[in-house]
Amino acid sequence: MITAIAWKNVWRNKTRSLIVISAVAIGVFAGVFTMAAINSSIIQRIDAAVNEELSHIQVNNKDFRSSNDIQNIIKDFPSVMSALRSITGVKDVTGRIIIKGIVSTSAKSTGVEINGINVEKEKKIFTLEKKLIPGTGSYFNEKSKYNTVFIGEKLAKELNIIRYIISPEALSALKNEKIPAAVISKLEPLYDQRFTSDKKFSKAFQNFLTPKEFIKYGMKIKEAAWSYREGSKIILSFLDMNNMQTGAAFRVAGIFRTNNDMFETVSLFVPIEELRTLTGMKEGTFHRAIALLDNNELTNEITPKIRAALPEYEVLNWKEIQPDLAMIADFMEQIYGIFMGIILLALAFGIVNTMLMAVLERTKELGMLMAIGMNRRKIFSMIMLESVFLSIVGGFAGMIISAVVIGITGKTGINLVKYSEGMEAFGYTAHLFPAIDVPFFITTTILIVLTGIFSSIYPARKALKLNPVEAIRTE
Amino acid sequence: MKVIEIKEVYKIYNETEIEVHAVNGVTLDFQEAEFATIVGPSGSGKTTLLNLLGGLDLPTSGQILIDGVDLSKLKSSALIDFRMKNIGFVFQAYNLIPVLTAKENVEFIMSLQKWIKKERDQRTFELLKSVGLSERANSRPAKMSGGQQQRIAVARALASRPKFVLADEPTANLDSKSATTLLEIMGKLNHEEKITFIFSTHDPRVVKMAHRVITLEDGKVVSDEVRE
Repeated sequence: MITAIAWKNVWRNKTRSLIVISAVAIGVFAGVFTMAAINSSIIQRIDAAVNEELSHIQVNNKDFRSSNDIQNIIKDFPSVMSALRSITGVKDVTGRIIIKGIVSTSAKSTGVEINGINVEKEKKIFTLEKKLIPGTGSYFNEKSKYNTVFIGEKLAKELNIIRYIISPEALSALKNEKIPAAVISKLEPLYDQRFTSDKKFSKAFQNFLTPKEFIKYGMKIKEAAWSYREGSKIILSFLDMNNMQTGAAFRVAGIFRTNNDMFETVSLFVPIEELRTLTGMKEGTFHRAIALLDNNELTNEITPKIRAALPEYEVLNWKEIQPDLAMIADFMEQIYGIFMGIILLALAFGIVNTMLMAVLERTKELGMLMAIGMNRRKIFSMIMLESVFLSIVGGFAGMIISAVVIGITGKTGINLVKYSEGMEAFGYTAHLFPAIDVPFFITTTILIVLTGIFSSIYPARKALKLNPVEAIRTE
Repeated sequence: MKVIEIKEVYKIYNETEIEVHAVNGVTLDFQEAEFATIVGPSGSGKTTLLNLLGGLDLPTSGQILIDGVDLSKLKSSALIDFRMKNIGFVFQAYNLIPVLTAKENVEFIMSLQKWIKKERDQRTFELLKSVGLSERANSRPAKMSGGQQQRIAVARALASRPKFVLADEPTANLDSKSATTLLEIMGKLNHEEKITFIFSTHDPRVVKMAHRVITLEDGKVVSDEVRE
């Protein structure tokens, strides 16, 4: 009966209740959706870091990272590999040769990290192969008589391997993309001009378009004008095992695109045999052993085991290699707590206010209920249930809206193209796919119910303090 | 059989340092099935005495015994429970629960007392029939007239078969016809259910129907007239 009365009381003043419920729903939606968007960005970043750049655990010679000396190899690589393989939870392992060097073209030179990789092994551990930009070659799939290298798009742009040209092919691509002819014709002054960077090209065609057209068609124009010269040649220079300057020309086998500009600029990959030949590093010598685990959750558990098994080496997991990323991931829970705390606190004040008004309006009725024998516990329960109902209805409405919006945007994505340059500079994707897990929904639901209970305490105490004789006399 | 015993009861309010003797040494008894009314001018202490009888307020001194139980000896929670089981209230402004139907209002006290549904339904049906509002069982108070609401309030007061019903000016807000109907119903229920009714009133129609008229002045009983 108390539950039924409380539920009916919620709908006594429909407008007021609907306003509170809407506020709760909007607050919950804002909180959940924002968290889902941030969460997805961080998850995507961690996935990218683990699957494309670092894997879960790396083992190096203790002096390797500080000196970058080619001599600092893993001395007993087969033992390291078998130690890694023997640990439960380690899914696969591989080794790399890593050399600091300089890459140059006729346009530019820049410092890079040259990774000598076992191509077939790497395919099982990293997903970089899938990041190949279509039309730029392959991930070392085609046999070549030349040395070959797999480089990032950002580096390719810096080296002038990628450029932007509004060529006849680009124009037909734009037509296929259904860009209005009026917009295409505005680009006429730029036909066949060569732009060496994204920035320069954007700046050039922005002058011919309206701001609206630039936002709407800018990305498509850039994609269409993006041009790559197949089999471009670059020169890699580095020190060999005898600390002698060496180097060779490499053909670009393929270009990869990730969301991490820094990684794209600095890291390039060559088949390990090519690097052995050039450096004089013997078969079976490596600078780094890399371990992929069954899942990311095992990282903290397995790292100390590997450390114990390989005390003479430096063992680092991805969180230690990129502490900023690990900190953000750990910090997420706290951000969530603070963020939802603020939202729920605001909601709590709204509910307290509404319930205080309800108690004030119903002073006479509460006095009557006390007079005819409704005890304090039941009065308290009734007020508390009303608050909880308000929170739950609003909370569930917010959750449903969140689930629907996250469901849709999780598939279509949210394209923050405006901020892509800044986000990708830090390794974050500008195309977010909001995602949230079930425990998050459960935790949020519990927090909403608790907010309802918490919000009811003050109004319910006010109600309990009423003197029935005086309350009944209230007009 | 004595249902209520009031022994030398005083209620003194100490507002703004001037003592107000709202009830000033009242001693009274009420028997089972009495139909009594307390009359007197405004400020004579009628409502205060009714509040003391209903356990809504406690006397400054003296004793009020209901079926031998001293109300002032009961703890707050026990007093609420005692009220629920033994005392029915009818208020001047009806005070029904607006979100409940007539039927739900009548069965409310029985629900609080955890009556089983079958008995609750039966008793509610009986009472709605007695007050002539069976056909309005599913109406909410806002859809009923003042007279009808007060009849539902009477049915609610009687629902759990209390020892007595306190009615504070129950006809004050009713038109003549509604007041007469209500009084007839209360008279009938008093007779059928053998429940004591105690009114505080200014209404001569109530006084006319009462079997006993107690007159208060300045918090004291100045007359106690029993009619045959």
